[in-house]
Amino acid sequence: MVRNEVYPERMLSDSEKFERIIKTINKRFTTYGYKRIKTSAFEQYDLYSKVKSSINQNEMIKVIDHTGQVLVLRPDVTIPITRELVENFPDLLSELRYFYVQEVFRQPFDKNDSIERTQAGVEYFCDSSPEADAEVIALACHLMRDLGFSDIKIELGHAGFFNELVQNLPLTSLQIDQLKSLIQAKNVVEIGPFLQNLDITDEVREVIERIPFLYGNPVDVSERTTGIVLTEKMQGTLDYLMDVYSILKMYGLEQYIVMDLGLINHMGYYSGVIFQGYVERFGKPVLMGGRYDELGNEFGARLPAIGFACEIESLVKATDSREVTSRLSIDVKITYADSQLEQAIAIANELRERNYSVLSFSTHKEQVDPRQSVYLIRLDKDGNSLLYKDKVTPFSDLKALLELLVGGLN
Amino acid sequence: MTHLTIAMAKGRTADKALAFFERAGIRFSEYHDKSRKLVIYDDENKVKLIFVKAVDVPTYVEKGAADIGIVGKDTIMENPVDVYELLDLGIGKCELAVAGFPDKQFPSSALLTVASKYPAVTKAYFDSKGIRIETIKLNGSIELAPLIGMADVIVDIVESGKTLKENGLVVLETIADVSARLIVNKASYATRTSQIQQVISDLKAALE
Repeated sequence: MVRNEVYPERMLSDSEKFERIIKTINKRFTTYGYKRIKTSAFEQYDLYSKVKSSINQNEMIKVIDHTGQVLVLRPDVTIPITRELVENFPDLLSELRYFYVQEVFRQPFDKNDSIERTQAGVEYFCDSSPEADAEVIALACHLMRDLGFSDIKIELGHAGFFNELVQNLPLTSLQIDQLKSLIQAKNVVEIGPFLQNLDITDEVREVIERIPFLYGNPVDVSERTTGIVLTEKMQGTLDYLMDVYSILKMYGLEQYIVMDLGLINHMGYYSGVIFQGYVERFGKPVLMGGRYDELGNEFGARLPAIGFACEIESLVKATDSREVTSRLSIDVKITYADSQLEQAIAIANELRERNYSVLSFSTHKEQVDPRQSVYLIRLDKDGNSLLYKDKVTPFSDLKALLELLVGGLN
Repeated sequence: MTHLTIAMAKGRTADKALAFFERAGIRFSEYHDKSRKLVIYDDENKVKLIFVKAVDVPTYVEKGAADIGIVGKDTIMENPVDVYELLDLGIGKCELAVAGFPDKQFPSSALLTVASKYPAVTKAYFDSKGIRIETIKLNGSIELAPLIGMADVIVDIVESGKTLKENGLVVLETIADVSARLIVNKASYATRTSQIQQVISDLKAALE
């Protein structure tokens, strides 16, 4: 049988966790110089239909306003931020760092999933450089450590690697999609037969077949790429990744980094470094990001940028199995005899002014909220007392109580 | 280090797969045909084996409840999940095929009725050929559907073709070759890379 209090307890602890995670995120993003911004909940449908992104049009929640115009409930944050910046800065004159924590809305494939998710992320508008990209990845690692995860792995890849490889091949977009999903699944069983049916040279075929194996320690992976680099541009992307890695080493983060050249552009607009983060015993990535230098071009401006985002609901779930959070407890609980109501309110007010969290109950409702408190105050007809660490101290009035709380108890 | 969890369904494929595991140095001496245990550990206590329904194996692996899963390609095709598919164990070989009566003509105007345990695969296959169909989802004895006139053709896995033959049916078209695959959770692969790669390379050596 389910005990009555279990469900509210759980809800309570989930939303406490939720708030704490957001607080941690706010703090960490701020230390890297990011400023929080907000975007509108409603966006023009046209904005999303013209930009290529991972958001399927069927996933968007559409609304029609009174003029008959179709709007969507914000399915992502990066695109509106970029659009808004373009209106204000047609060219990137200085670097800009923004972060956001807000809801995104998408129709989930799985009916049990929720339409609304809370996304937290950063967008760093700056020219592409290994230092900038490494800093954003370091911020991602730093944040994960703040949240209490020690077993983090960040997979690092580059959108340019695969694009360069398939760019000039005579493949239909359906074939490229099939090839992408085979590589994303590291499906070494079927990739060979699939490539046999395509009109490509043996050289290219061999390179593509080896991509799923280019996974692991960045130094090892880069050694294994000898012989498969077909163009100067491919070599360039590899060198760039190794530069990012060597800066991450300076941050002391090398144990968290794996290189995955099979990591393919899943967002449509990524153009450079791509990365995603995993923690142990949670089946999905907890964060995803990458460089999107071309997104600004869609709105007619040059706005190179890199960013990442994570979903708070996933982070709450990922912390479920481990005890990283201690319950937030109440500071003071007041129980009062009905005749002492006025005094109870006065004390509660006074303590709340001093930033204590306070709950007060009439004596016959004492068990309404089962949470533990640090201090317990009893107001009876024949006198007042303060219970702290099993010690009962009587007090006469508010002033005496405040003196006790400030240090008179020791 | 915590256990590596492997999910598979009990049955012939599991027996064969466990033989490969044994050759790869992972022994489950607790396991025997009659055992009803759903969770067993290998002798060196490094790997935990859980027995689940075959159709649930991809779900267990995608959600990270199991690090590795052994499951037929047919099940993966019907229930596509975001996992790595790293190895073909070459066991449980059969084919997914369209079967029906030989030489029967279908009127091109009417909707083709197809009975199958695999409605998603069926729809995707006929969609790709531009044929509109009505799918009837059945859970067993699929061969019966054309016999009693409930469906024009069926989509099912065919091993020897014996059941089809005894019921007067033949394979009309092959959709895909099927065998048991090893799938891996993406987060597990990232966080426990060397442990998982070791198991895979041991298994690969055992397959040869």
